[in-house]
This record gives sequence, structure tokens and C-alpha cells, in this order.
Amino acid sequence: MKKQPFDAIVIGGGHNGLVNAAYLARAGLRVVVLERRHVLGGAAVTEEIYPGFKYSVCSYVVSLLRPEIIRELALARHGLEILPLESTFTPLPNGDHLVRWADHDLTRREIYRHSPRDAEAYDDFGQLLYRLAVAVKPLMSMIPPDVTSLHPRDLVGTARLSKYFHGIESSTFYALHKLMTMSSADYLDEWFETEALKATMAASGIIGTFLGPRSPGTAYVLLHHYLGEIDGAFRAWGFARGGTGAVSEAIAAAARSYGASIRTEAPVAQIMTHGNKVTGVALADGEEIHASIVVSALDPKRTFINLIEPNVLPSEFRAAIDNFKIRGSSGKVNLALDTLPEFTCLPGFGPHLRGAISISPSVDYLEQAYDDAKYGAFSRRPYMDILIPSLIDPTMAPPGKHVMSLFVQYAPSDLAGGWNVQKREQFGDNVIDTLSEYAPNIKDIILHRQVLTPWDLERDFGMTEGNIFHGELTLNQLFFLRPTSSWADYTTPVRNLFQCGSGTHPGGGITGAPGRLAAQRILGSRKA
Amino acid sequence: MTTYDAIIIGAGHNGLTCAAYLGRAGLRVLVLERRDILGGVSVTEELFPGFHIDTCAHRIHGIHPSVIHDLSLDNHGLEIQHPSSCVYAPNLDGPSLTLWSDQARTTAGIQAFSSHDAQQWPTFVKFMASATRFLRTLYDHPPIHAPRPQIADAGTILRLARRFKNLTKSDRIALLRLLPASIADVLDERFETAILKGALSAAGIIGLMQGPMAAGTAYTFLHNHVYSPTGAIRATLFVRGGIGGLATALANTAKRFGASVRTGADVQTIIVKDNRAVGVALTDGEEINARYVVSNADPRHTLLTILDPANLTIGDIRKTKEVKFRGAVAKVNLALAERPEFVGASNEEHLHGTITIAPSINYLEHAYDDAKYGRRSSELFLDITIPTLTDASIAPNGKHILCATVQYVPYHLKNNSWNDETRDTLGDQVVETLSRYAPNVPNAILHRQTITPLDLEKDFGLSEGNINHGELTLDQLYFMRPIAGWSRYESPVRNLYLCGAGTHGGGGVTCAAGYNASRVLIKHAKSA
Repeated sequence: MKKQPFDAIVIGGGHNGLVNAAYLARAGLRVVVLERRHVLGGAAVTEEIYPGFKYSVCSYVVSLLRPEIIRELALARHGLEILPLESTFTPLPNGDHLVRWADHDLTRREIYRHSPRDAEAYDDFGQLLYRLAVAVKPLMSMIPPDVTSLHPRDLVGTARLSKYFHGIESSTFYALHKLMTMSSADYLDEWFETEALKATMAASGIIGTFLGPRSPGTAYVLLHHYLGEIDGAFRAWGFARGGTGAVSEAIAAAARSYGASIRTEAPVAQIMTHGNKVTGVALADGEEIHASIVVSALDPKRTFINLIEPNVLPSEFRAAIDNFKIRGSSGKVNLALDTLPEFTCLPGFGPHLRGAISISPSVDYLEQAYDDAKYGAFSRRPYMDILIPSLIDPTMAPPGKHVMSLFVQYAPSDLAGGWNVQKREQFGDNVIDTLSEYAPNIKDIILHRQVLTPWDLERDFGMTEGNIFHGELTLNQLFFLRPTSSWADYTTPVRNLFQCGSGTHPGGGITGAPGRLAAQRILGSRKA
Repeated sequence: MTTYDAIIIGAGHNGLTCAAYLGRAGLRVLVLERRDILGGVSVTEELFPGFHIDTCAHRIHGIHPSVIHDLSLDNHGLEIQHPSSCVYAPNLDGPSLTLWSDQARTTAGIQAFSSHDAQQWPTFVKFMASATRFLRTLYDHPPIHAPRPQIADAGTILRLARRFKNLTKSDRIALLRLLPASIADVLDERFETAILKGALSAAGIIGLMQGPMAAGTAYTFLHNHVYSPTGAIRATLFVRGGIGGLATALANTAKRFGASVRTGADVQTIIVKDNRAVGVALTDGEEINARYVVSNADPRHTLLTILDPANLTIGDIRKTKEVKFRGAVAKVNLALAERPEFVGASNEEHLHGTITIAPSINYLEHAYDDAKYGRRSSELFLDITIPTLTDASIAPNGKHILCATVQYVPYHLKNNSWNDETRDTLGDQVVETLSRYAPNVPNAILHRQTITPLDLEKDFGLSEGNINHGELTLDQLYFMRPIAGWSRYESPVRNLYLCGAGTHGGGGVTCAAGYNASRVLIKHAKSA
């Protein structure tokens, strides 16, 4: 038999697929990455849609990219440079504003202006969350055990998990339990009274999820910010020079340096199996590539419903994948701007424009935005997380010009009546209208507008229902339940077929963690 | 002067259960009830001549079987009625649906709506039976010491492990996924009929300031089935003569075991010496000593009102204040001149259980949308019983009683408050809603009683009108109930115990909390 050219095929050149490939190649495997599009990065991609202006088309910040990955893959040497995000600026309809700066004392003074009590509580809150983040961190790099299995092999994992909990201080454990199960609104109500502060913090809990700030299960995302702090704020939270595509490029460069091959415009049409074992993939043009290991970085629905013959998978597993919730809830608008927007509440082009701009004036505002989406409409007044990347990295736009990235929520994938071009533009208009209430000059300075609805995110980026996290990050889809119990350790019912995308633990965001943990699992099983 | 081993504050069903068990174990017990009538929320009052009305709780889903057996409540006058109808869901826009205690009959009824759902029904009922059997093990014992279990927990853990092992693997996975899920998600995965899902999801939100789409409502649904007859979903049971009959039977048993029960005895404060509860003082100045004080009142009322909070640390006060109550229900009781005729009910038997006005999940979610902004629902969810249909002894000949749990009626109104006027408006709205489903009701009303959340607080001592002595949400369950670190019926003050619905097992008329509390206290008393 002819020797196969590759040991492993990674389907999808998103950041997790690339991380996975890099680790496998680093361990000596011959790896090929197959990317459907002409450009690498998946949702972490920079594209020049409008001449001279570079958009981080989908994902726009680097959140919690694991420091061990940056270190182990020497990403800095491969061109990764992360620039700090300085602040969060929340303009308010009453003409006031709230800014949280990188400088702690400035932030405290600013919060004090709104509420002395909150300024006091802000420090205590930070200390508690930091403590919780330290406690939770080991879970981020743990391969989830199968707690529903009584097989001795799996009980070892369950025992390891119990041991982990055993090691946690009681008060930390209780605080963690509250954080995991409460709504961000309730949780923040226990600490703060300033609406804008609560709403802006709560907003991080709803990003990418089909839940409102009053929905239980949204509080735990508050940890993310503090997890970043442990990693060193400038490393984990920030903006990659050159846009998020630069992150993917750096990882790809690392993978190539270990000998991995990377092919673009190579869409996989089918995962081939023989018996219960994976044998390779077939591309859309009919080419077959064989390998003993196949790893999918696509979301679970794409992998198991679109790419595999249904009869290969056990019916229970298929049912679990069918029930995996992946409703998209957000859209993205990218703008090329002639000049900078000016906010009524804080005129001028000061440092407040260099960080995140959050349209989240109150918890009720966010909750009402969710109410619209619950019943199938996009939010009349959406929550928006806005960046002006060209202020942080001038190479993103021609001199004097700017790019603006607007993450917009909610835009339900299941829009009543369905999405079409007209609805997409209505959605885009609505976003600009909302922003113009705070920055009236915005309408006059737009040179180009790109609007992505969940419909576009699905068609262009292959994310089912446009869900940016490859599956909702709800309590029953986390850790050993992601994407489904018994198959949360990156394995699948098909032998030597693995998963490494955001649909696995620890989920979405540019963390690289699923890709790395999957590689550990794959390499571990080869040794065994 | 007599000294008692234990004083129980409050003669609700849990307080009386606890008293009876303590008496049975040989302790000298005194029960002190503020009102002139026993039962707490489980009370039957002759509001209008000849009408014996369950003013607060008006039906049960099942009582802890050990309590009935150990205390031989059957011999002390307790007679529980099992109507053949569990839930009747009248529908204005189509056929109505009845869930029967007989599974085959229910399946046949669902068949008329959807054969898919009819096929799913037996599987769902079977899974619910397994899930509640597992939960019952959890409810039959005090919570384990989390995160570090102690020797004393070994028995509970072993029993839980055995129960878990006895579940099929797919049931284990389903249970893990269900516990943190929303009832809407759980039902959407299984069923397609709107009215079936509406009628079922109602059991996930009763008493809760959450909509059916909120994570944790699936758990509430399970909670309401823990002691239900196996195989019946949303079983509705009655106590013959009125729910107060349960309190009477419990009090009779307690007295037989030597307990004294005093009504009209309003406890002013708990006497504490050297951080140890040593007795109580009544409002009339009388002081009574005891080795232990057990409170059937809710945790906030007990620790911050009855107890002088000066006995607590600032941390404990804060934790107690953080317990969420947010009452969401009101109660309307009607004395009727004739039998209500509900739309779509071909005969009276359909109406023997609960009549639920919850035509769809969206209906309930919309009802919640109003409440989360501090407004009473514009379209109310009602859970109605007509106990006179199965027990003619409680009303004059030919007359009827209609009790309705009304939701969402927030305790905290925005821009308004509860007073005589808003109470009347609420009562009118309930009658108006009823008139659409049972057109003859408005003209048949002889008397009407409307109990707002504020009335529940004032008249029944329920903080913020919460019928469960604290929200039954994921962050306030098991070892978090009522307060993390004080989940085993003890309190920060030595020899002061809690036995009400605010503790583990509580919420709903099951007597489980009183049962568990008594066992902990008996153990302590014997080893002291």
C-alpha cells in the first residue's frame, strides 16, 4: 500500500484549527490544514473589503489567547503583536458618560462621580472576581472528564475533578456557584447601583449568547475580564496589530515552521470512514486525501450533520448534536470612515475613542434589546461593542481615515420571515441610526459599510446559524457537556476523528484553548 | 416554669412536621403560632359563612411519603384526594388539552394534537420518573457538605451514587443537561404542540420571577414533581376538607407525641445568650426558655426581624440580605353561586385538577416580560382549582369555591405600590381573564378575596410575598439554600435552627424541609 503523505488532516483553517495543526506538527506528525476560503483564519480574519481599509471582518478583539500557546508556539517570533485596549467608554443618552480606563485610579474617580458607593465596591468586586478567576483557571486547561461514565478509565477523570473542587476554599466555591448560576444583572445588583456601570459589565455576559442580562447563567462571563488580568492584561485582552487575521497568520506561520502544510480553497465535502474508523476526507472537487487522523475545527453541526454519512454515527449521538443549541444572536457592521466620529456627551477625539465604546446605557436597555430578539426581531435599539482599530493600529486605514468595527446584538438567526438582502440593510440602517443618537456626525463620514447578519456569518464563514461561538455558551453546554456528554474530550464516536473547534471546551473567543487541548488529547491517545 | 427542649416558631406544615418528629424522638416541644389558626400558608379559613377556603396554598403535588407513614397521618384525619385530572389547559383558539393521571388517557388526548408528541409522551414520563427518583434521594437528606464532604455525608453520597448508577447512561446525560436548562428548551426538544408546552412549562415558573426561557426553570419543574405520584405529570392533589387538614393532622400527631401547640402566640424575638439561642420572648412580654429554637419562618424574617441582627456578623447579615425573594404571585379566591363552565371542557371531570391558563410558552414569557420591568402581566398566567368539584363538604350545597394562583404579579412595582386600589384592579383583571375562559364566572361571584404579594408578606409573614421562602433558583438550591455554609438547617447562632421552605427540600407543600431539619436536630440533641 502506498504510504499516506499525511498523518493528520485538520478541517478548517480558523485559529483553533491552526493551533491544533501547529501542536500536532510540533509533535512530529505530518499535518495538512484544509481551508475552504481563499484566506486563512476562519472568523479571525482581516480582509481589505474596501481599498485601503482593513476590516477584522468577524472577530475583532483577542480575548484570552492562552499565554502558553503564545509561548509554546513562539507566536511573537512569528509576527504576533498585541496592542492594549485602553478603556471602555459608555456614552449615555442623558448627555453623561462613563469611562473605565486602564488606569485604576482614574476609573475609580470616574465611578465615584456616579456613585461613591460603587467606587468603593468596585475594588472589592475586583478582588473577589480575581480570586474566582484564579480558582477557575485550571478548568480552562483541563480536558473535560466524562462524569456520566462509570468506566474506571473515566472515573479517574471524575476523581481528578472532585479533587480539584476539594482543593477550593469553601467561600470561593460558594461564590463561584453563585457566579455560575446567576444572571449578570442580579449578580451586579448585589454590588453596584450605577446603571451604566452594571449594564456595561453585564454586556460582556451576553455577547454571542441568546440570553438577556437577566437570564441566569450570564454572570460567569464576568470572569473573563479577570482571567485576562491573570494572564497579564496586555497579552490576553487586546487588539492584534494588523487585525485578528494577524493572529491566524502568526499561528499559521508557526504551524508551517513545524512542517505543517496549509491549503486554502480546499473545501472538504465529506469525512470518509471505513467501519467505525476515519480514513480521510473528500474535497468538493472530488480529490481524496487519506490520513489516519482527522480533526475538525468546524462547529459540531457542520462536522456531524453536514460532513458525515448519518448512518456512521450512533442515533443517540446524532440526537444530542441535533439538540445542541447554536442560535446566532449577533451581527457585525464594519465601516470605513472619512474622519473620526464625535460623541455629543464627550466631544473631541480624546483617548476615550481608543478603547471599546459600549452602547449599553442601562440593564433595561439590554434586556429590551433581548426581548425583541426572543420573538424573532432584531433589536430596535441594539447593544453595540464598538472599536476604532485604526486609532490603535494606523496601518488599518489610509492616513487620516479610519475603520470602525461594530459588534451588534441582538440579531436572531431565526428572524421572523427570514433574512434577506433588504432585511440586512434595514439592520445596518438601524445600527447607524442607533449610533447617530450618540455620535450625530456618523452618517456623514461613512465611506463604506459592510453588514454581516447571522445569515451572512453562516453563508460566508460556515458558522451554523451564525453563532460566533460554535454553539451557545449556556450552563448545559459547558465543560463536560460541550458539545455533548461523553464526547467532550475532543473525541467522537468515529475512531480517530477528533474535534478542536469552539464547539468544544472551553468554547468561543480567540483563545486557542480548544485547539491546544484537542492536540493534547490526540497525542495522548497515540502514546496509549 | 416548664422548660422545653425545642420551641418551634410558626405552625406551618414544615414547623408542625418538625415538631411531630421531635416529639416522637422524646423531646419536649412547644409550637408557637402567631395567628389564631394553624397551617401557615397551608391554611383553610371560613372566609365567608359556609365557604372553607384554602386562602394561600390550594393544592399539593405530593407529600414526603415517610412523613405520612412515620407520623401515621392517615390515622389522624389526613385524607388525600387524587383527582383523575392533573391539568386542564383551556384554549380559546383551538381544542383544549387535559393531562390525566392515567398516562394512556393523556397520550390519547395528545394524539389529537400531534402524533409526534403522543409518541414522545411515554418516553418523557418515564424519564421524569427516573429523574425525580434521583432527586428524591437528594431531597430525603440534608445537603452534603460542599465542596468538602464529611464522614457524615458518606451515606447520602453512596445512595446518590447508587441512584446515579441505576440510571441508564442516556438518562444520566439527559439529567445533567436538564438541571441547568430552561424548561422551554427542554420541552422544545421533545414536543411541538404549543398548548402542551404551555401547560407543562407553567410548572417550571410557579412562584418564580423568571420566565420559562430562563435557565433553571427545568429544575423548578422537577422540584414540583419530586414527591408526585410516579408517572403523573403536574399531578394535582387535594386534602379533603381543605389544605388546613394537613396542619390539623400534623398538629394532632405532634400533640400525641407530647408537643404543645399554642396559637395567638406571636414571637417578638429570639433570646440569645453567649451566641446561643436559649428561648423566645413573645410580644406580650412572656419569655419561654428552650435548649433549641427552630424557626419555620423564612430565613430573612427569622434572622433579620425575629432575631436581633446584632447577633450576626456583618458577613452573615450581608449573605442573608442577598437571599433573593422577589414575590411573583398573588392569590384570588372566589365564592361562587354556581359551577364554573370552562370553554372546551366536555364534562366536569376535566376540571377536577388544576386548570392552567398558559396557552403557550410565549404567552408565559410575555407575561414575564411585563413583570421584569415592574409591571403586572397584561395577560396573566393563572393556575386555578375548584376544590368543591371533588369535595362538596367545604361549601354550602350547590355553591363552589374557585382558587387562583395569579402570576406575574411583582411585589416590587415600578411607579406604583400595592394598596386597596391596586389590589382591586388586580382582582378585576383576574375576573376579566376568567370571564374569557369561564364566561359564567363573573355573574356567579358571591365573594371575592384578592391577596397581593404585599398581603402575603403582611398576613402570612412571607418576605416580599415569596411563597417559597426564597426563590427556587439554581443559585439558591441545595447547599446554597438558604445561605451557603448554613444549608444544614443550622444558623449562624448556635442552637437556632431553620426548618421552613427556605431550607433544602422546601418550596411547595411536601413537608420535606421539616422532616430533614428534625433529623439533623434530633442527632444534635442526642449527641449533646
